Amino acid sequence: MLSIRQLSKSFRQPEGDIQVFDQLDFNMNPGASVALLGESGSGKSTLLHLIAGLDRVDGGEIYVGDYQITVMSEAELAEMRRQHLSLVFQQFHLISTLKVIDNIRFQAALCQRYDADYEILLIERLGLTTQLKKYPYQLSRGQQQRVAIARSLLHKPALVLADEPTGNLDEQSSLEVMSLFSELVKDAGSSLLMATHSRDMAAFLDRAIHLHNGKLDAC
Amino acid sequence: MHASLYLVIRAVLSHYWCHRWQTLFLLVGLVAGVGLWSAVQIINQQARLSYAEADSLLGVQAGYWIRSRNDTGVEVADYIHLRRAGFRQLFPVVEGEVSTQRGEPVSIIATDLFALPSNLLDVDKIDPATVWLDFVQPPYRAWIPAQLADELNLEKNSRLPLRDGRLLPPALVQSHAQQGRQILMDIAAAFELLNMTSLSYLALGAIKPNELERLQSLLPQQLELIENHQHLDLQQLTESLHTHLSAMSLLSFAVGIFIVFNAVRFSLWYRRPTFINLRLMGVSTRLLMTSVLIETLFWSIIGTTAGVLVGMQIGKLLLPGLSASLHSLYDATVNTQLIWQLDTILKAWGITLLGLCWALAWPLYRQLKQHSLASRVSEDEKQSRQRLTRAAVVLVVCSVLLYPYLQDALSGFLLLGLLLFSAAWFLPSLLALALQTISCSIPDHPFIARWLVSDGWSQLPALRTAMMALMLAMTANLGVGTLVDSFRNAFVDWLEVRQSADIYLRSSRVDFGRLLDPQQSSAWLQHSHRRIGVTTRWQFRQTLIRGVDKQAPDSLNLPLAQWSADSPAKTLALWRADANSLLVNEQSHYLGGLQLGDKIDLETANGPKSYRVLGFFYDYGNPYFQFYLSREEVVRQWPQHYSRGVALWLNPQNENAVLLAEAAMRAAGASAGDWISQLQVRKLSLNIFERTFTITAAMNALTMIVAAIALLASLLAILQERLPQFAQWRALGVRSREQFFIIACPILIFVTVAWLLAIPLGALLSWLLIHKLNIVSFGWSMPMLWEMAPAWRLGGIILLVVCATLAMTGWQLRRRLPDALAQLGEMD
Repeated sequence: MLSIRQLSKSFRQPEGDIQVFDQLDFNMNPGASVALLGESGSGKSTLLHLIAGLDRVDGGEIYVGDYQITVMSEAELAEMRRQHLSLVFQQFHLISTLKVIDNIRFQAALCQRYDADYEILLIERLGLTTQLKKYPYQLSRGQQQRVAIARSLLHKPALVLADEPTGNLDEQSSLEVMSLFSELVKDAGSSLLMATHSRDMAAFLDRAIHLHNGKLDAC
Repeated sequence: MHASLYLVIRAVLSHYWCHRWQTLFLLVGLVAGVGLWSAVQIINQQARLSYAEADSLLGVQAGYWIRSRNDTGVEVADYIHLRRAGFRQLFPVVEGEVSTQRGEPVSIIATDLFALPSNLLDVDKIDPATVWLDFVQPPYRAWIPAQLADELNLEKNSRLPLRDGRLLPPALVQSHAQQGRQILMDIAAAFELLNMTSLSYLALGAIKPNELERLQSLLPQQLELIENHQHLDLQQLTESLHTHLSAMSLLSFAVGIFIVFNAVRFSLWYRRPTFINLRLMGVSTRLLMTSVLIETLFWSIIGTTAGVLVGMQIGKLLLPGLSASLHSLYDATVNTQLIWQLDTILKAWGITLLGLCWALAWPLYRQLKQHSLASRVSEDEKQSRQRLTRAAVVLVVCSVLLYPYLQDALSGFLLLGLLLFSAAWFLPSLLALALQTISCSIPDHPFIARWLVSDGWSQLPALRTAMMALMLAMTANLGVGTLVDSFRNAFVDWLEVRQSADIYLRSSRVDFGRLLDPQQSSAWLQHSHRRIGVTTRWQFRQTLIRGVDKQAPDSLNLPLAQWSADSPAKTLALWRADANSLLVNEQSHYLGGLQLGDKIDLETANGPKSYRVLGFFYDYGNPYFQFYLSREEVVRQWPQHYSRGVALWLNPQNENAVLLAEAAMRAAGASAGDWISQLQVRKLSLNIFERTFTITAAMNALTMIVAAIALLASLLAILQERLPQFAQWRALGVRSREQFFIIACPILIFVTVAWLLAIPLGALLSWLLIHKLNIVSFGWSMPMLWEMAPAWRLGGIILLVVCATLAMTGWQLRRRLPDALAQLGEMD
């Protein structure tokens, strides 16, 4: 599903270049869920951005399914993200001016894979039935993250990239949301790569890997 | 593609539904800008249409006129003789003036309808029910334009009572204004009404060159053939005024677009997460750009529609004033009934689209092209300030380069635009400098002062556009205000000297010899000044050679703009002593290129003769050249001169002088309405003057209102943006009064800096308007009257506006802070 080969990435800083990844390799099978652990600043988010084509690599190759991310144009990357990827962030990234129901449907409508039955199922499982006509700012953070999860899964993407999805929630909510999230990803048949610094959250997924000094180690 | 586009557009536009204040300000900016611009365009277009109509006026459309050389009119017998000689293109015209019962002067024009060439009178426009026979036989008909009929409260078939008790023929009200503000009637009716027996002139329709030569050879000695330039003159003369108005409307549009820019800036700031979101969900840059273009198109259509509708209303309010101005300045008649023009709407749409592309599409495009999602606002702000400053320097250099090539109104306004925008773009750096200076000048400053300055830095990016708009509006206000004050001052001085006589009498029927006979007039008359004139063309422009009494009070105190001797008094003395010297108006200097000491060769009845220019006198508002010679010299050299009336200074010792003068004038052949008192002249002139500048004052006030809205929009947007921050302050124990103080002080500092910059800039603007623009546009100047009082007054008004907007902001803060405070502690 996801294949990374010889990935290199550095950032230019006034005090000198910072090498984030050097010859990094990683593979992930379809339907797998992997937790990406690491300290703050270890490059977890950068790796997710590179996989999503939001940032450019210095060297190496990234494949999502049959797509080689590293050689695609901006327009091709946008199309790939729309059809095959989903991103879930700590900051929810909901469209504040659209109602909850419109937010949930947005990406599915965009890639024209809207499934009304699955939408009902997701909404019920995530406990959003009474919140659909509200705007995001009228919801609690836990509820907002549930909306973001529903939106990310409604079109059943091949790969879900999640960056600290529960980082903005309290412990109880985090556990509830994470449990639901991992189950729903499995039900959707999607793969999940989730960056987190919490081993408790990582425990919900199939396996965990550790990012340290630009290298990946199995935990 | 369509489904995706719909989704994206919905997401992008949903912002405006949720942030209605921003939507309102965006709309206000658009409508204000487009409204003011289109109002002026509609007015200009209406004026041009009226000029085109004026071209088809009776007599004006004629290629040539035949007039009598001594202004005694054309005898009917001569007209019949020429018609019998085969000149069917000739038609007779009688012009005159009567006074209504209320003393309003009304112009009469008359002709023989059956003699008119078919192309000169649009018969189709005449009411089919018109009985032609009624028109040409007693009691006749007075054909009155609808607008004039309205003003005179005349209805169909009613008869207008005149001052002398007689009645006009029954009114026939016509909706189109082919004869301008003149009342058209049959020539026989006019002869009866005006007590005339001769024709004012003969007008000549299209004629072949060889026919023209034959006509010339057949003309009796006392008649002359004059080429008609009137329609050309009108367009040329009014062009500067219309350019002036267009420039002001563009300034208003610019201020409006500043508001749009401001509103869009905040909408972009708010929508940044939405755009990031859309990109994360796989929306391509192209799709986003398409949606932004559609958003631009959407706003341009809404803005144009609403703006043009508002513009029509503003136009309706301003047009009567402008019509009066054009009538008083150039004798041009402008119909005050506005009409829709597709052309204006399309132009308004085009300019709105351009403005929106600059204010909305371009910043969005730049934002979308950014690969990095990180925001580095402070660095961007500094770079943006530097960019603006560099652009301002370029504009200043351009204006310095342009200055020597100022030749017409257009280049003048271009220079003004360059200067104004360079100052506006300098302003953010000046504001930053002010903050820096305050910061450095309080070394051991208390915490509150440090906080205040730091808050100023955080407000600067959000407020700078509004400050630029405010500064532009203040500069325009001061500059144009000074121009109008200078004009008023000069005009009043001019009236004091030039219109100092007690009574002005103008009539071709008066026996002036009898009226001014010293034996008969000594009881009531102290001084008289008979004026005669000869109209000619000099340097392709209509020129009046006036024969004046050099000893008359108005001639003795003639205000000179430039003089050849040591002083104006010595120059006037030289002029009085020398019959071969003349004084000319400023227009002859600036537009005709005459210099002091130059010699002008004039064609006289006795052959060419040279006259030396001794000085230039102020001649405000006159579009023509004017030369002053002694009356005796004009009589000697131009026997065909005509009378321009007489100015009478009454005997102040005699209480009954006015009554005696009126009786004497009647006895000499004048009728009521032929004379006007000085008091009436002054009142009329000042009224005309005030009406002339009504439109300028209105545009000025509207621009200020637009700028005030820009300021309010910015303050409310800042409030919205910083509400969580303000809530944090309150949570830390900051009192509401302290908070308001911290927000208000930097704004007051910025407004003060903008005001201080607007003062010298306003002075520069008025100097350029008076000493450059006025001269290249109109050919006359005046002393500039610069006072600080208007600047202080403006400062006070701006302070009030700022206080009002701050009060509104404070009220909003009070209303919304509790919610923001509640959200502070919310975790889940």
